Amino acid sequence: MKTTLTLIKRNIRLFFKDKGMFFTSLITPVILLVLYATFLGNVYEDSFVSSLPKGIEVGRDVIDGLVGGQLVSSILAVSCVTVAFCSNFLMVQDKANGTVKDLRISPVKSHILSVSYYVATLVSTLIICYSALAICFLYLGITGWYLSTADVALLVLDVLLLTLFGTALSSVVSFFLSTQGQISAVGSIVSAGYGFICGAYMPISSFGEGLQAVVSFLPGTYATSLFRTHATRGAFEQMVADGIPRAAAEGMKDMIDCNIYFFDSSVSEWAMYLILGVSVAVLLVAYILMNKFKRGTK
Amino acid sequence: MKNIIEIEMLDKSFGNVHAVDNLSFCVKEGELFAFLGVNGAGKSTTINIMCSQLSKDKGRVVIDGCDLDKEADAIKEKLGVVFQSSVLDAPLSVYENLESRAALYGIVGADFRARLEELCDLLDLKELLKRTVGKLSGGQRRRIDIARALLHKPKILVLDEPTTGLDPQTRKTIWNVISTLRRNENMTVFLTTHYMEEAAEADYVVIIDSGKTAACGTPLELKNKYTGDFITIYGADEDDVKNLGYEYEKIRDAYRISVPSTKVATELITARPEMFVDYEITKGKMDDVFLSVTGKSLVGGSEK
Repeated sequence: MKTTLTLIKRNIRLFFKDKGMFFTSLITPVILLVLYATFLGNVYEDSFVSSLPKGIEVGRDVIDGLVGGQLVSSILAVSCVTVAFCSNFLMVQDKANGTVKDLRISPVKSHILSVSYYVATLVSTLIICYSALAICFLYLGITGWYLSTADVALLVLDVLLLTLFGTALSSVVSFFLSTQGQISAVGSIVSAGYGFICGAYMPISSFGEGLQAVVSFLPGTYATSLFRTHATRGAFEQMVADGIPRAAAEGMKDMIDCNIYFFDSSVSEWAMYLILGVSVAVLLVAYILMNKFKRGTK
Repeated sequence: MKNIIEIEMLDKSFGNVHAVDNLSFCVKEGELFAFLGVNGAGKSTTINIMCSQLSKDKGRVVIDGCDLDKEADAIKEKLGVVFQSSVLDAPLSVYENLESRAALYGIVGADFRARLEELCDLLDLKELLKRTVGKLSGGQRRRIDIARALLHKPKILVLDEPTTGLDPQTRKTIWNVISTLRRNENMTVFLTTHYMEEAAEADYVVIIDSGKTAACGTPLELKNKYTGDFITIYGADEDDVKNLGYEYEKIRDAYRISVPSTKVATELITARPEMFVDYEITKGKMDDVFLSVTGKSLVGGSEK
């Protein structure tokens, strides 16, 4: 156990000593927030206002809270996975610069090395993503705070769960990488692509039917929906309290993926948690088995 | 002395390249063993197989009584390896590096601190502990590499070109440390080097070429077998030297005559005592042995 803990400490130290890697990871959510607020805030706002039933007015604060919630949920949904990939690059770096050879000439078991990378990535990612969450809360506090205590707690849980998922996914992917070039390529693909396929950059409801069916098989879709539900629920409740018909509010929730459907069946929150939990377990088992049965030598 | 490393009919190929070809040799406990060959001769492949970093195609490797096929982890406990280039974590301090590597062998807490104290005394590391490895000089980093290899008190220290690129003073320091370890702990040292003067100090030498054993023996045996002797004669007349009938070269104030053996040199001197008034006899060098055996020479880390 002490061996594992020491190796975890080593991996975390290396991540935070690499100023470039650490600050890039930390600043990415902040940059995303600024970009979203600058370029997409108005688009989201116009979209909400145009979808309101005619003759019904909603307070500016509520609209701001709703737009803020959507921005924040998108950022968190992307960051938990992209930061996990960034943190897990240490594992690939160790292969690329030959350090893993130094680790493997010792009698330490392969699964201890794997666990140490996983836990270190998880801890580093959580530190950055919870920092991002704090910044997001601050942003919502400024633009319009409608979160209940329960929603705050659920957002904290969502970050944990999606980080577990992102870390497990990045561990499985990074297992196959061994050079700096591969790290860069995968980093670019994940940063650019994940936000689209999880519905963070564009609501899944705006995709074509075929694409909607495809992304409904991806666990990240449900994580985005959880974030969106918890970040906007308070604002929606306020809208209903202000006189918006519940059916209209539900229509807006459909529009921004708070309600999500597996083909035509609505997926409940608990089902989304279950999907994410099972996905984490499956990826972790795959990662452990891959390490156990890999050819350590060739 | 018992054999601490036994390698029998070792074979390893990478596609069409036969990196190690039916290689067999033994290393005695406590000896300084030099494993020589040009780049690509199969040295690193053999070491990687011994350290379980590569699988072998055929053959048998037994280290300190443990068969590699059955007790790879036990073998890892017995080997300390200094790689050609440092593989420590450059952004971390010396202490942090040694702490994490010691943990790989289950050496943590007070046990680690006690072992670190010993290594600090042996390698004079105390003042380096807080410094970042990436900011150390080449020689300082090499000392840390050796400390890392010695953390778990291995019985065999594998040094893969440990002094390449180091200044003479640092090379001397490193060899002093290795000598101390051999003297005090009867440690076996398995050395690959491109410096023939280091190989000349070995107890036993194996030269490999294209994955096969090209020659083996003590440095003296190899010199006797693969090189002749040299008589350097001072104050002699060139015509007399020429009349001896052996190859010679003129050096600043003498002639250097190449003879096939010490016996021939002795016969020559006793036959012409009036000519050999001021002279010296020297054996060939390990460079000459290497050149004779492989047809290639090694000079300071490069093949020529």
